[in-house]
Amino acid sequence: MLLGVTDPVAYLPLAVILMAAIGFSVMNLVLTRILGPNRAGETKALTYESGMEAVGTARKRFNVRFYLIAMVFLVFDVEVVFLYPWAATFANLEVGSDDRLLWLARILFFLFTTIVAFLYGLRKGVFRFD
Amino acid sequence: MADLLGFVSAQFLVSVLVYAVIVHVLLAGAGYFTYLERKISAYIQDRVGPNRTGFDLGLPFLGFLKGLWGLGQPLADGIKFMLKEDYTPGKVDKVLFTLAPGIVVIPALIGFAVIPWGGVWDCPSFTIPLLNLHVAGGPVQIAALPVNVGVIYMVAVTSLGVYGITLGGWASNNKYSFLGGLRATAQMLAYELPLGISLLVVLLMVGSLLPMDIIRYQEANGWLLLSQPIAAIIFFIAMLAEANRVPFDNAEAESELVGGYHTEYNSMRFALFFLAEYSHLAVSSAFFVLLFMGGFQLLPFINDPLTATGATGLLAVLAKLGVYFGKVLFMVLVIMLVRWTVPRLRYDQVMSTAWQGLIPLSLVVLIATSVAVFFGLPQGFSHVLLLFGGNLVLFVVLWYVVGRLPAYNPNRKIPLLGSRFYPLPGERVDHAPSDPMAREDRPYEGALPTA
Repeated sequence: MLLGVTDPVAYLPLAVILMAAIGFSVMNLVLTRILGPNRAGETKALTYESGMEAVGTARKRFNVRFYLIAMVFLVFDVEVVFLYPWAATFANLEVGSDDRLLWLARILFFLFTTIVAFLYGLRKGVFRFD
Repeated sequence: MADLLGFVSAQFLVSVLVYAVIVHVLLAGAGYFTYLERKISAYIQDRVGPNRTGFDLGLPFLGFLKGLWGLGQPLADGIKFMLKEDYTPGKVDKVLFTLAPGIVVIPALIGFAVIPWGGVWDCPSFTIPLLNLHVAGGPVQIAALPVNVGVIYMVAVTSLGVYGITLGGWASNNKYSFLGGLRATAQMLAYELPLGISLLVVLLMVGSLLPMDIIRYQEANGWLLLSQPIAAIIFFIAMLAEANRVPFDNAEAESELVGGYHTEYNSMRFALFFLAEYSHLAVSSAFFVLLFMGGFQLLPFINDPLTATGATGLLAVLAKLGVYFGKVLFMVLVIMLVRWTVPRLRYDQVMSTAWQGLIPLSLVVLIATSVAVFFGLPQGFSHVLLLFGGNLVLFVVLWYVVGRLPAYNPNRKIPLLGSRFYPLPGERVDHAPSDPMAREDRPYEGALPTA
């Protein structure tokens, strides 16, 4: 086994990495504010909508399909997250053992429930965007 | 002093060094990807592309650096972005508007941390002179974050990018931006599922979350591109959609939404969005290479002494880095060629490709693979033959079955009078158009055409 692969000390570089990334983005945002010119103007402050004066705001109600997609995404994404630990261990079980059959059958049932949910959504037209 | 620095190990120092090197390569690379993209598009469209900006900076004694095929263009663009006015339009949400580009660039800069660019290096023991700190040697990974949950980290971080785009689109208070952000969010959510499921197929074969194990597996059993081609293609398509690249760039479709979520942005804040996009391109290419193209291995099935996982010398590490970067560059070139060859999909096509195409397909591949893994897979070359054959059979069967399923056609042809669809093939012209839309369109043309 490689050094520092499993112990929590292996995560230390993450602190450095995060600081560097956040530092980079903050530095860029601050520098461009300092270096550039700064002039205000009434017309300049208008929302750009192809040269027309903007009608109302963009804080409007939007299509409910996006909400549906978000809900369905939650169902599927949680399922995929549950499958990661299974996928990482399933191949390591002994071939032909009872455990292996049990693990396969359980996960196939789990996938079956999702497929039922998917077919229900499909028939209801959740995935149609036209 | 030595007690305080007790956490410093050879792996820690190497990790920080690797991160520092890779992040610079990535940022410079992102700049030069824009140059490459402009050059490629120019050659495809029979133009010249950027060819004037050199590195002479306008100084006479640097005149010999003029021109240089426009290689100074990314640098000039960067300086220009930095010096432009950082303007915040009047009606935006000021905090979120500033925050969004900062948020979007962070995942792009930390996502690649788990990639083992150079395999394992046998580090000798050494002493840091000024601190008088002795560091014990041993095998270290040439990766910025060599943890055993590598693949989970990668999925978690790359999906964070959606926050910045959503916030940017919402904070702009512009209808184009809002629609662009909305579209991008829905699209990235939808394509994260096939991405995750085709990744699961790889994990199922390998049986480990450690990136090095994925490479070791491919060294022993051939690249997963050969043994799981369907999953690889799904991953590639989903990768394009996650990066908001053509043919899935509806979030910034210029002919519909001006600039999409970055319509209201300018100066460096605008550039950060682009930096994130191009870094994301390189990072997801690196993931594709890791998962399906054998990482730093030069050729499948040929274990040359330099790029084998067992090689731990300094020369081997450099050779692996070279091979890995070469493969990533190749993938980036492929993605760019796709951009300038394939037309953009319509938004409903984008969504139905994900939900009705890729997700069911990837689920089928996942189930088939889990059954195959259950019965145990042979090692070596027969492994690839068996799985490639299996994929081929699966593809043919699916092609046959899906072709016979009842399908809803979103491009329904409406028999409008005078349109090119009127009369429809197989339809007799002896009545006025029956479709209400046709009557609405031309209410006074109920009379029959004389033909």
